Amino acid sequence: MSRLICVLMYTILRDMIGHVDADCFYVSAERVRYPHLRGMPVGVLGNHGACIIAKSYEMKAAGVPTGMPIWEATPICPQGVFVKRDFRWYEALSRKMLAIVQQASPRVEFYSIDEQFFSTTENTREFAGRLQTEILRQVGVPVSIGIAPTKTLAKLISDSSKPFGYEVLKSDSERLALLRDRPVTDVTGIARRSAKRLAEHGIHTCEEFANADRAFVRWLLTKRGEDLWWELNGTPVLPILVARPRHKFVSRGGSIGKASCDPQRVHAFVVRNIERLVEALAHYRICCDSLILTLLFTNEPERSLRSSLLGSRADFEALLEAAMHLLPRVWQPRSAYVHYMHVIADGLRPLTNRQRSLFEQSQLVDIKRKINNEMGRFALRSGATLPLVDVYGDAANEYDICDIYGKSCF
Amino acid sequence: MCKGISILKARLKQELFDQYELEHRITSRGGDAQPELHFMYTDPVVQLPVIHDGQLVIYEWGNRGNKESKLPRTGWCRLESLEAGKWRWLSPEKIVIPANFGLEKSVWFQIHEGMQGVVVHDEQERPHAYMLTQPASHYYQTMTRHERMPILIDQEI
Repeated sequence: MSRLICVLMYTILRDMIGHVDADCFYVSAERVRYPHLRGMPVGVLGNHGACIIAKSYEMKAAGVPTGMPIWEATPICPQGVFVKRDFRWYEALSRKMLAIVQQASPRVEFYSIDEQFFSTTENTREFAGRLQTEILRQVGVPVSIGIAPTKTLAKLISDSSKPFGYEVLKSDSERLALLRDRPVTDVTGIARRSAKRLAEHGIHTCEEFANADRAFVRWLLTKRGEDLWWELNGTPVLPILVARPRHKFVSRGGSIGKASCDPQRVHAFVVRNIERLVEALAHYRICCDSLILTLLFTNEPERSLRSSLLGSRADFEALLEAAMHLLPRVWQPRSAYVHYMHVIADGLRPLTNRQRSLFEQSQLVDIKRKINNEMGRFALRSGATLPLVDVYGDAANEYDICDIYGKSCF
Repeated sequence: MCKGISILKARLKQELFDQYELEHRITSRGGDAQPELHFMYTDPVVQLPVIHDGQLVIYEWGNRGNKESKLPRTGWCRLESLEAGKWRWLSPEKIVIPANFGLEKSVWFQIHEGMQGVVVHDEQERPHAYMLTQPASHYYQTMTRHERMPILIDQEI
């Protein structure tokens, strides 16, 4: 990019993009309601009580990474305290944060539970500082803020300002300094596979990526890679999404806790995830043409198969039938231990536009929804889920990260 | 189960420190963390903070080593045993054990308010506090690898 364009970018175009990122959000959220956790090494445990899904800076300093099982973390950080996750609480604080950012900007993207992008004409450190202070005062959560010409640069600069910092990227020399020596994997959208391909061509840092030939980057990483190249060079190509874009697919699933080859337990988890998928489809008022079942095993490679549905469907009976058709075909060999699964609705279309099947029958789903709205989620559920006493016996399992709707990212 | 608890120093009145010589129990998890007091069943002096009849006091935790005493030689009381009447001869009274953290198999877990317990009296009418336990939830069992857990007040783990 020529120097002239860069100068124009930073001086004439006043619209910049801000990125708000909560510092160790789940831990900070726990500290809002339990202030005595401040200053302590704190780990938040995931859905089954085994793995650390978030940790405080104190626990990080002790050497505990996210994802580590608790039994590996306690010897490293014996003074660490562990907290059970509570996504309802985290969502409540997340929406408060979002509302504050929406007061500061007319265009805000609810990117993830702890991150927002926003457009701003106030490109000053004072503005970023005021927003940070306001979020801390009203929500109690510390955040870091980056303001830059593009989303990718804004996210990089907020990351580099952590914890509890803020910075504004105002010149091309500052942009180059930000990219220099920074691993290319720091860029959201360049994960392990892309990084490996880049490394094969001697590209390891953000600066090397930004200085690479644009056409070469497009050839290597397709349009998505080229978009990031433009963004790192200061040209905004990724828009702020004020409404969540239409889904390409909807998925429900995750870990089933301890790996299992018990057919009743695995079957019960498939049914549970189909019930959750049906809820999600109803929420978005969409239906699907096909269902994919993916199983991850501890001792075998992952397997995944698709089943087409009779028409576009969003009802429990049709999706369950498809899932049950797929289960024995995906679960191969039968001795494999399942530890993760996903049911994925694909070929999505609005419920109002769907082609109905000749074989459709009256549905119980509306009655079920009404009862559960009155009595609580999963109060009425399939009897096939009865083996999951441990899952349904814990009220915290009623609400998961994917039940927080409206985020543009996961 | 729960082999130890921790309570924030700020929750205890100063007179308790003088009365029960609690100063040596004060500890901190470092940095800006608030000071806490640890009460472990393996301590030389086995004690627990207890709310009994609305008063926060310090009682001996169960009966760890007194063979002469009639009291059960443990620090925990199974809820099932209590409900089956196996402790009735000791006339147990319900108490609350206030705590901020519990410890089991090296895992410190958060406690919001405290846990349930019972107090019974020995031959000299001295009070002894026992922690009530129940079968562990799946989550607690995964977290601590123990099949029993304390009965927490207004909290599910």
